[in-house]
Amino acid sequence: MATVFKNLLSNDIATTRTLLNEAIPITGTIVSGTYNDENIKNYAHGMFQSVYDYPYLSSSANHIFDITYGYTSNYSASANAQNAKKLNIYNQMAQVLVGYDVTGSIRKFDRDGDFATTGNNAKLENCVFLNYSRLLTKDEIKKGSYRLTVLSGSTEITIGDYGAQNDYRVNSPTGEYGILYTASAATPGTGVGLVYYQAGVAVLTASAGIFDSYESFTGSLTISGTADNVRSKWVDNDFNNTTELNSTVYFCRLNNNEFNYSSNPTYLSGSKIVTKQKSTDPSVSYVTSIGLYSADNELLAVAKLSEPLKKDQNNELTLRVRLDY
Amino acid sequence: MGFLDNSGDIILDAVLTDTGRARLAKGDGTFRIAKFALGDDEIDYALYDNSNPSGSAYFDLQILQTPVLEAFTNNTANLNSKLISIARTNLLYLPTMAVNTLFSDDTKLNESINMFYVTVDNETTTTLNGVQGTINGFDNSGGSYVRVDQGLDTTEVSQKRNLDSDLVETQYIIELDTRLGEITAENTGATATISFIDDDQIASYYLSLGTDTDFVNTIPIPTDVPSPKMIIDGPLGTLLKFKVLASIDLQTSTFLFTELGGTVNLSGTDFYYIDSNIRVTGATTGTRLDIPVRFIKQQ
Repeated sequence: MATVFKNLLSNDIATTRTLLNEAIPITGTIVSGTYNDENIKNYAHGMFQSVYDYPYLSSSANHIFDITYGYTSNYSASANAQNAKKLNIYNQMAQVLVGYDVTGSIRKFDRDGDFATTGNNAKLENCVFLNYSRLLTKDEIKKGSYRLTVLSGSTEITIGDYGAQNDYRVNSPTGEYGILYTASAATPGTGVGLVYYQAGVAVLTASAGIFDSYESFTGSLTISGTADNVRSKWVDNDFNNTTELNSTVYFCRLNNNEFNYSSNPTYLSGSKIVTKQKSTDPSVSYVTSIGLYSADNELLAVAKLSEPLKKDQNNELTLRVRLDY
Repeated sequence: MGFLDNSGDIILDAVLTDTGRARLAKGDGTFRIAKFALGDDEIDYALYDNSNPSGSAYFDLQILQTPVLEAFTNNTANLNSKLISIARTNLLYLPTMAVNTLFSDDTKLNESINMFYVTVDNETTTTLNGVQGTINGFDNSGGSYVRVDQGLDTTEVSQKRNLDSDLVETQYIIELDTRLGEITAENTGATATISFIDDDQIASYYLSLGTDTDFVNTIPIPTDVPSPKMIIDGPLGTLLKFKVLASIDLQTSTFLFTELGGTVNLSGTDFYYIDSNIRVTGATTGTRLDIPVRFIKQQ
């Protein structure tokens, strides 16, 4: 019985999970300089500022991240620029990233993530938020890879989630997060911010030693003005993103007596097989593509070989066809 | 110590076809891969040079250098020619399919355009009555029909021989654009059952030997061989015969004619027309045949 299909058995199908990483550099020249701020988008509502990798009016521009700023009621003052909006931003980010306490109140960002009421109980009360685009972070920021270098006064400081691959927190409603330090030797209690890996958000304290203009963030500067100031101090930012790739691998096994003939119109001259001169010559065919079919013979996926692959009765092949989701 | 040959295991990345994506989006469980097939669409076997004086290593040198195209996502554009599994390795001939234009005047193509006309309304049918290769697509009464014969097309094996059972095509797949028409039986005019319609509105009809007797039959061995009524010169397998009934849209409207076709003047009369193909594929042997048809409507 001639046939053109071969059924896939349960042991011909395997599922795999692979984590792919890409290095993402966001240089200071992109963030502030190269495009004379034509890649910076401000909004009428003034709640945040968007940074693009190219002048945003161009169709080839990609949104890469947003900058915003907020503080708790401890910093609230009616004289502050955009006071209500700064409060709202902090609360919005905190309720999403930190969640609520047992009384239902929004918790504040905790410097070391333990929400202790004694000891190192310092909170991050006024913060710069860097909300990275899904385009950059993909499924998550790779733990331990986040580095941000800014100019503090005339000194460059590098903030990073040092050691986070083995030391991160899981008590956030939006997944895992690490603590940002200014020194490569992470010292408990000295964190200057938090990085939320799955959410793709970095939270930086607006304080002395990080942003030298921090006092104006609270008072005279609007959120956009604060974002402008942050960008002007930006030297470099690097991290690796992670894409979780779930694949199904179909093992297409070609036994020696299978797929040795073709229905290609050029395969026959009349009805004679052109690759044979006599019946005992080997039957030869050449594979260029593999089709994966449903039970009702609908073609659902196709894979192509880079070059024709010879198949005859003297060889057996296993073609591993991977379908990524 | 040499390295082991690791060329026997190849990893390929697959892309979903439009049908695959549609089924995945439905989320109703219809996206389930159950089988695979292999294709060789780019290969021109005429390049196989089995008399190359340099030896057998040079027979397929040009074939192996054939550049391969990237995958198309249109499900109908891929794997048009498939590789076939037949347990026997000593076959020198494989069956083929052909439109039998010799069986009777009713099975001939129109000689001037080398395709079948399909009239779509009564007026056109009356005007083209008696024109060779015209299928009455209005009500299927009279007129031509399509007959496809299968077998070994060679004079080196007698037509008196039976075709080996593993080479007999037992199921045919007919594909036709549902916007244009549907497949009907040549003798009874009964409409064939559509198995499914894909996202490109191409309907697939599965017609089997023994089940769909109005469409598929065994070709009896002729008493006089080689028979002048057979397009296949060698052992005969099965035949497929059918007519085409024009769709309601073609019968009652000129919209599709102006969108997909053109106009032509025949003997002083203007007609709208749409050229299309009816694809017949042997489900068992994978052999494929495109039959050109012209849907025609008098202006």
